[in-house]
Amino acid sequence: MSQNIVETRGLMKRYGELEAVKGLSFAIRRGEIFGFLGPNGAGKTTTISMLSCLIEPTQGTAIVAGHDVVKASSEVKRRIGLVPQELALYPTLSARDNLNYFGRIYGLRERELRPRVDEVLEMVGLAERAKAAVKTYSGGMKRRLNIAAGLLHRPEVLFLDEPTVGVDPQSRNAIFEHVERLRDEGMTILYTTHYMEEAERLCERVAIIDEGRIVTLDTPRKLIGDFGGGIIHLGVGNGMADEILPQIRSLPGVKAAARMDGKVKVEAVQAQEALIRLLELFTRTGTDITALEVLEPNLETVFLHLTGKRLRE
Amino acid sequence: MVRQLLSTTWKDLKILFTDTGGIATLFLMPMMFIIVMSTALQGLFDTGTDTQPRRLPVVDLDRGTYAAKVIAALDSIDGIEVETTWDGETLTRERAEALVAEGDRSVVVLFPIDFSEQIEARSEGDDATATVELITDPAVSTQFIAPIQGMVFGAAERVAETGVAQARIEAGLASVLAQLPGEMRPASDQIALETDGASVVALKQVAPAEMKIEVFPDTYQQNVPGYTVLGVFFIVGTMASSILGEKREGTFRRLLVAPLPKPVLLAGKVLPYCLVNLIQVALMFGVAHLLFGMAFGNPVALATVSLALAAAATGLGVLAAALGKSETQIDGLATLLTLTMSALGGCLMPTSAMPSFLQTLSRFTPHAWAMRGFQDVLVRGYGLAGILPEAGALLGFAAVFFLIGVWRFRFD
Repeated sequence: MSQNIVETRGLMKRYGELEAVKGLSFAIRRGEIFGFLGPNGAGKTTTISMLSCLIEPTQGTAIVAGHDVVKASSEVKRRIGLVPQELALYPTLSARDNLNYFGRIYGLRERELRPRVDEVLEMVGLAERAKAAVKTYSGGMKRRLNIAAGLLHRPEVLFLDEPTVGVDPQSRNAIFEHVERLRDEGMTILYTTHYMEEAERLCERVAIIDEGRIVTLDTPRKLIGDFGGGIIHLGVGNGMADEILPQIRSLPGVKAAARMDGKVKVEAVQAQEALIRLLELFTRTGTDITALEVLEPNLETVFLHLTGKRLRE
Repeated sequence: MVRQLLSTTWKDLKILFTDTGGIATLFLMPMMFIIVMSTALQGLFDTGTDTQPRRLPVVDLDRGTYAAKVIAALDSIDGIEVETTWDGETLTRERAEALVAEGDRSVVVLFPIDFSEQIEARSEGDDATATVELITDPAVSTQFIAPIQGMVFGAAERVAETGVAQARIEAGLASVLAQLPGEMRPASDQIALETDGASVVALKQVAPAEMKIEVFPDTYQQNVPGYTVLGVFFIVGTMASSILGEKREGTFRRLLVAPLPKPVLLAGKVLPYCLVNLIQVALMFGVAHLLFGMAFGNPVALATVSLALAAAATGLGVLAAALGKSETQIDGLATLLTLTMSALGGCLMPTSAMPSFLQTLSRFTPHAWAMRGFQDVLVRGYGLAGILPEAGALLGFAAVFFLIGVWRFRFD
């Protein structure tokens, strides 16, 4: 059995002139939570749509659970589950009716359907409200049911497309726990999000995606570690002498520094130490600081560093 | 405040006009309705004109003086053009019945072989009545037949009364004047004639022989099929909106990931609405039966037409869902299709009263076949064998609508 459950090579999707996905090549290992981190419109949902056989790639190949998504879509569909970004539920039906319906669509026989629906309802903590119409649920409950509907047929790979959008922190934690439990049970999960803290907490590996391309792919620890100790933005206006820049670069704890649009961007090895040194230098040279921003080392700053954009822009 | 008001108006106009398809149907719908309805209803409300006369087929089996006079009187009416031949041959009873049965004409006037003879017998004092037959499609509503009845009866009665009165005057004068001395004989205008007051002419409405009509249908049997077919096709908008809703809310996306073929997914949407259609038909006919005593005819034939109709209506729903890209477009498209096709298909008025090009066009609507199917069962007394062509045509429409719908439907 191959170690990789998803493998793509040069995967591309074009809509007329627009290239939504520009030749993605990556692999997801069996049993891991793989994160797709990127802002809205980066190409995450389009990629998931191709991997789940909803749309055909314009170019490239994708093998999911051992089958080609174009040539053997039925085989792929049997082995995957999709939790779409939208609340893909029937609001006037109860949770049980929704799950019964989706279970039947996935071919579950009546004798296995009922216990499986009970099990899934229990898993997402909705057993007590199973008979209530979904429209009476809170946003978090709907999100949990949305996930439950994708689990009924025990897929080998689960695509979770922004599963926590519009969810309160408490429900978000509950969803994280469900996802981790599924991983512990051996399910492979492709988790798309534009919340860096979700990717950091859940994902073994993360592909940072922007404008249809994978910018970088590694474990969150490695990505953050490679990047360093954070970014410091210092507002200096146009009054800062140019000769200060080499002095900044030579300070202990500073990895790199550059001047851009009336501010200095400093990449730090250790942000706290670098900040103290910077303040000393600016005081000594009489340079005014008009603004100060310290960005902690995390995937958000990695993304910002790599793309020049914030995740939630 | 005015600024906010104008901003809101401007924003909504921009949203509205971005949906070009939707806005087009909004304007297209009333225009189509005016054109189609006005043209179709021309036959019902117009008396006919010199340039566009109403054609009135006449079969003259009598070949006598009086029938000829009535035909001439009818032909002299403005806007009426009497047809005594069809395809170059003199009209016979059989041909006339076929014209009515096939829907080419909704009414044919027939003068029986003894029409003139009966009038002559009446003038000689016998208690005879000359009958004029109106061969009509029982499905054609009374409102449409009544003016023709009045026109034919009026013309026949005038001709007959004139003939009878003239004969009586001549006979009466001859016998009375013969008994009087010459100086006492009155001028002819001083003689008052008394008639017996009874009509000389009687109108008899008959259906073509192939239709097993013992009792002519009542107004409910004539009207209920039209409103039923019209109502059944309202499902088009509801169904198309539901499919669009599933796409919008993402449930379709989830279902498309399941291992089932796309046509099966759409077929699954069709079946519940088919059931709704059948309940609609049962409800409408049931109410007409319970409240007005409307007879059902052959139940198997009725169920077959109803099933085929439901298939055609829901097939059209799939097509509308495939063609409409927004709620506005679907609403407009469904209303446009439903009302235009209903008018064309004869739900609001008999197709036989429409101009001939619209009659031809009506055959391309499922409504016309459904109407014909229901009328075959309810008012023409046909059984299962009699409605198979209509049921077949409806199922054909259903298949075409569904296949084009599946082909054009954007699943992603």
